Amino acid sequence: MDVYLQQLPQQLVNGLTIGGVYALIAIGYTMVYGILFMLNFAHGEVYMIGGFAGWWVLHLLSKNSMPIMNAAIVIALMLIIAMGITGMLGMMIERFAYRPLRKAPRLNLLLSALGVSIFLQNLVLNYQGAEIRFFHVSSLIPESIRVFHIGNVVLSFTRILVICVTFLLMALLTVMVKKTKVGKAMRATAQDTEAATFMGIDVDRIIVLVFLVGSALGGAAGTLVGLLFTQVDYYVGFQAGLKGFTAAVLGGIGNIFGAMMGGIILGLLESLATTFFPSAYKDVVAFLVLILVLILRPWGLMGEKIPEKV
Amino acid sequence: MNNHFAKTDLNKKQRLILYASIGVILAGAPLIMPNNYWLRIYTMSGLYVMLALGLNVVAGFAGILDMAYIAFFGIGGYTFALLSSSQFNIHLPFLLVFPIVAFITMGFGFALGSTSMRLKGDYLAIVTLAFAQIFKLMLLNLDRPVNITGGVNGIYNLDPINLFGFKLVSPVAYSYLIWFSAIIVITGSFRIKRSRYGRGWQAIREDELAAESMGVNTTWMKLMAFAGGAFIAGATGALFASFQDSVFPNNFDFPQLVIVYCMMILGGLGNIVGVILGAVLLSILPEFLREYGAYRMMSYGLILIVLMALRPQGIMGEIRFLVKGRRRPDKDESGLLRSSTELYYEEKKQAIEEHRKRYSKGDRIILELKNVTQNFGGLKAVDNLSLKLFEREVLSIIGPNGAGKTTLFNLISGIYSPSSGYILFEGSDIAGLRPNKVVKTGIARTFQNLRLFSTMSVLDNAKVGQFCRTKSSPLSILLHLPVYWKEEAQTETRVKEVLSLFGARLTGYRFDQQAISLSFANRRRLEIARAISTNAKLLMLDEPSAGMNPQETIEITNFIKRLRDTYGYTILMIEHKLSVVRTISDRVIVLDYGKKIAEGNYEEVAANKQVIEAYLGRKGH
Repeated sequence: MDVYLQQLPQQLVNGLTIGGVYALIAIGYTMVYGILFMLNFAHGEVYMIGGFAGWWVLHLLSKNSMPIMNAAIVIALMLIIAMGITGMLGMMIERFAYRPLRKAPRLNLLLSALGVSIFLQNLVLNYQGAEIRFFHVSSLIPESIRVFHIGNVVLSFTRILVICVTFLLMALLTVMVKKTKVGKAMRATAQDTEAATFMGIDVDRIIVLVFLVGSALGGAAGTLVGLLFTQVDYYVGFQAGLKGFTAAVLGGIGNIFGAMMGGIILGLLESLATTFFPSAYKDVVAFLVLILVLILRPWGLMGEKIPEKV
Repeated sequence: MNNHFAKTDLNKKQRLILYASIGVILAGAPLIMPNNYWLRIYTMSGLYVMLALGLNVVAGFAGILDMAYIAFFGIGGYTFALLSSSQFNIHLPFLLVFPIVAFITMGFGFALGSTSMRLKGDYLAIVTLAFAQIFKLMLLNLDRPVNITGGVNGIYNLDPINLFGFKLVSPVAYSYLIWFSAIIVITGSFRIKRSRYGRGWQAIREDELAAESMGVNTTWMKLMAFAGGAFIAGATGALFASFQDSVFPNNFDFPQLVIVYCMMILGGLGNIVGVILGAVLLSILPEFLREYGAYRMMSYGLILIVLMALRPQGIMGEIRFLVKGRRRPDKDESGLLRSSTELYYEEKKQAIEEHRKRYSKGDRIILELKNVTQNFGGLKAVDNLSLKLFEREVLSIIGPNGAGKTTLFNLISGIYSPSSGYILFEGSDIAGLRPNKVVKTGIARTFQNLRLFSTMSVLDNAKVGQFCRTKSSPLSILLHLPVYWKEEAQTETRVKEVLSLFGARLTGYRFDQQAISLSFANRRRLEIARAISTNAKLLMLDEPSAGMNPQETIEITNFIKRLRDTYGYTILMIEHKLSVVRTISDRVIVLDYGKKIAEGNYEEVAANKQVIEAYLGRKGH
């Protein structure tokens, strides 16, 4: 037991980091679900492409695995460009795969999303191949600040970076949703699309915006995970997507703040599970959580049950 | 959809020719394959046909988006491998291990079905997907501490199939075995689709609540769909494992699932011929893309996106395959065109000649509500309501919007169970029973906003009503045992009898029309016919004349009257048109805010001060 207690602070930090990433992915799911009531299955691939975009920027800005300019600028560019690319991608997915189905049954949308997911995954497989791409983080970040030791907790610079960036992005999103006019329009559309239309809100634009923001956050998550675990391959989107969805469900799907909380809870659960189970079963724990929550409390841990209308 | 084509649209000779040519093709095909490579594709397409048809049972017939389907294929494959290889040194004979595998997989299907059944649509898809992922992770990781699945390396060198002393080793022998099994699955699919099970599943796919309220035991039927799909997937998995002589986790991964889904959707969900074509097509076509590697999976993705956008019903869709010369609706045998009004008046003449015993109101209480209350989180939709309904009586419930009329119907029909109080039907308490059980006791309802099974034919819609009065098991359906024929004939006769109550409105060429293509008034009539088809004694009609024009309203009013006077039904009716209420009600009950504010014959109620207030508001003071 002592061993576990000693590991606890480290696991909490690990859980918080990966939980922040899950939260970023979950936000994309939950925003889309809140308005279109659809499960954007392709979101995991958007995350994966975000990871590749980050890797690609790093690759372009390096020579012999050494960055050609200030590391801070490189990281900032990685994030910004990854978010830009994935944001555009999200908008395109919405335009070509989902908008034609706006009035179709929801299951058609789900199947179309499945198609997008498979398409994107294999598109990347085609152009990038199946091999793992490595982020040479060790040469990017000066050795003096690469790792910190606080007590017996090992805290890498990238971990701190990931935590800071995720929380910054979530704070920005919160401000946007709560304080701006666009945010108000978003909330109105999520409440009642039709009523929002009658109030003069261009719902199509809001939906595009939701895809833009959600996908950009997913893309940022992809790059951040690339920095954290120093690798990306074409298949990471599938698992990450499921995890993100789990987080969204945990917080009550459709609820942005729930998604943030859900992500962090899931991250903590997973990293605590690795203390007790072989790490190969870490994902099993996440999926069991998903199954249990959906079966027992499909309205989420924090949400309220809404009776079904007949 | 295409329920009768083999039975009615092709005559015996044509069918024999069809079967003979299929037989010749299947017997000859393996022999004319240019090389082993194409022979392998031919055999694989047989496996895919089986796999896609199994998925078609769950996702196509019953409309359940089961993403764990591929795991059942895997369970079949791995169970087979474990029971007939050197992995644990178990070497069971094929004829024993094959059924064992299929039934074990079916057991898993049952288990998964019972855990995830409460979920709907994409939630169910995600939960089953998570199950499939767990399954794959187990396959990958169960090589330690004890080597069970062999991890990434899988299990190989399986026992060769030994059938009555003949060892099956040649690729040609495998192609015969697998296509023979495929033919069994195809035949089974056709038989089950044309049966009460097929209709029950289709009803669930179209509208689960309506199916339940028409007497379909949706829980059981969904479980059966899961189990049936798993059974086929498991058997296919065993054949696949033996054919490949090995199993790997990758054989049962997500991309494989997408391929099978593509096949089914390309063919058209639920359309058996379409699914077979889809499976064969998608087994062969991508072979031409083979050298481009991932382009193949990309093309599957694109197929899904494009199909969903342009043709969600699949290539086959609603086209009736192999059926020529549709019956012209409005022509009689002599080929003369007739208008539908002519048909109508002809029916009317017959109706007048009807001399039957006339029923009148009885004094036996058939339905009694005692202090029924329904709470919706503080809001009392029905508040301490008691009422009595006598045999062969027409009782109308009226009241302003939100008075709790439809809630009352939902309570009686079992969609809600009351917060407190008793609902007695013929003396026994039915409060809290599932809707399908309520139907079985003899109560059937219609819905205010029409919940027909839109893409099913008029005949099949009504046949769903007979579901709870028949009980052929899947086995008797698959083997076409006498009980199946007897019940099908009984269903057919009963349903045609009921539909003919409406004359030409719902009979003749209309039998085969989709419910969605009917006029609004005819849809209302079909809802009533569907309710009557359940052999109910008590009919609950929720605004039977809503949306009808004055002429149609008069007609439906007379019809309801006839239901009581000529056929002896008891009728509980919600109605807003007071002319209808006045003409046919024996008694009227007025609800307001969930409470009964007046009761009596129409004139008494219409003169009641409280009623006038409820409708028109209180006079100012």
